[in-house]
Amino acid sequence: MAAAVAALCRRVTGALRLSGARPGWAAAGLPGLTLNPFHKNLAKVEPLHQLKFLHTTLSRKGLEEFFDDPKNWGEKTVKSGDAWNIKQLRGKSSEDLHKLWYVLLKEKNMLLTLEQESKRQLRPMPSPERLEKVQKSMKNIDLVVKEREVALRLLQTGHEKPVPGEWRHDFLGRTYWYTYKEWPIPWYLNKKYKKRKFYYLSHVNHFIRLRLEKSLRRRVRRQNLERTRRKVLERKFPHLAVKSQSQ
Amino acid sequence: YPLFQLGGPQLRIFRPNFFMLAVRPGVPQPEDTVQFRVSMEMTKVDIKNYLEKIYNVPVAAVRTRIQYGANNKRNHKNQRVKKPDYKVAYVQLGQGQTFQFPNLFPEKEQDAETRSFDDFKDKYMEREKQRQKGDPRRGGVPDWFGL
Repeated sequence: MAAAVAALCRRVTGALRLSGARPGWAAAGLPGLTLNPFHKNLAKVEPLHQLKFLHTTLSRKGLEEFFDDPKNWGEKTVKSGDAWNIKQLRGKSSEDLHKLWYVLLKEKNMLLTLEQESKRQLRPMPSPERLEKVQKSMKNIDLVVKEREVALRLLQTGHEKPVPGEWRHDFLGRTYWYTYKEWPIPWYLNKKYKKRKFYYLSHVNHFIRLRLEKSLRRRVRRQNLERTRRKVLERKFPHLAVKSQSQ
Repeated sequence: YPLFQLGGPQLRIFRPNFFMLAVRPGVPQPEDTVQFRVSMEMTKVDIKNYLEKIYNVPVAAVRTRIQYGANNKRNHKNQRVKKPDYKVAYVQLGQGQTFQFPNLFPEKEQDAETRSFDDFKDKYMEREKQRQKGDPRRGGVPDWFGL
């Protein structure tokens, strides 16, 4: 965890200090963040009434952020909004995504603490679907950031992947993407690397064939299963059948 | 992670995916110690920086240990089921702060639905108990005995 992270986090906590908890970002007038996202899209938190009075007290020293709002302790269900969609995230700037990542990380920590505590106290956890929503949002942010990184890298260097690699065979005949590793010595002096075999002998062809047949069989079985399920559903709900384009 | 060599850049992680959850200590801990379950790959330095930068919590000392999850249980196929391993971190807060793990499930007043359900349940249990009791005229002796 590093100095760049520190700078950004200081910015985040600075923003928080300006105007209290997360709703305060809107008041601080940070570029790119308007009030709208908080209304409809934020993964959790932000029931609408909180936006009315922006409390200016800083959340005490942060250990409280491992736990939910004290009003929610002991509730059976806690309301939360939908997860972030990839399309919504693509419209946000990188700074906003970075801040959102940390918000989601803290939320995830809070939910995990709640889960563990509920297991300890043998009580049901209030609204466990929040965890899945947070995980989905984080995955989406990751995808969007990776897309942007790939685009930048392509423009700047012409390479798609951060680490160079190539397709290789292993001794069982399987083809996989081998990424180059960093070694202080060249490959012809590396005893461990020379023991690895990136070729396969002719007797392996029989097993490659068997593996291919198995994969084909699985694929066909999956397709047949899907077809039979579809037929069953169409028989049960004929009015919902997808009408094929007929001239 | 890229290999570090002398003179190279320091490793910077921009969107840490490490989780950290606070747990209630099983054994009573001193006032300033907080117990966390952290991701297995985190080091003491990592945990200190994480808490200081993301949560703004002053950290004096961190001690970690890895808890081995047992592999004794068996499922219906008699395969051994492993409980996952996890790393436990004992963090001592700086600046003389103390921390008590809060009660996250305080007794709340039940809404009308749960109250009526509880009433219904109590009445049903009472009725069952009345049925189980023997004839009061026979002095509580069960019907199994003759006469």
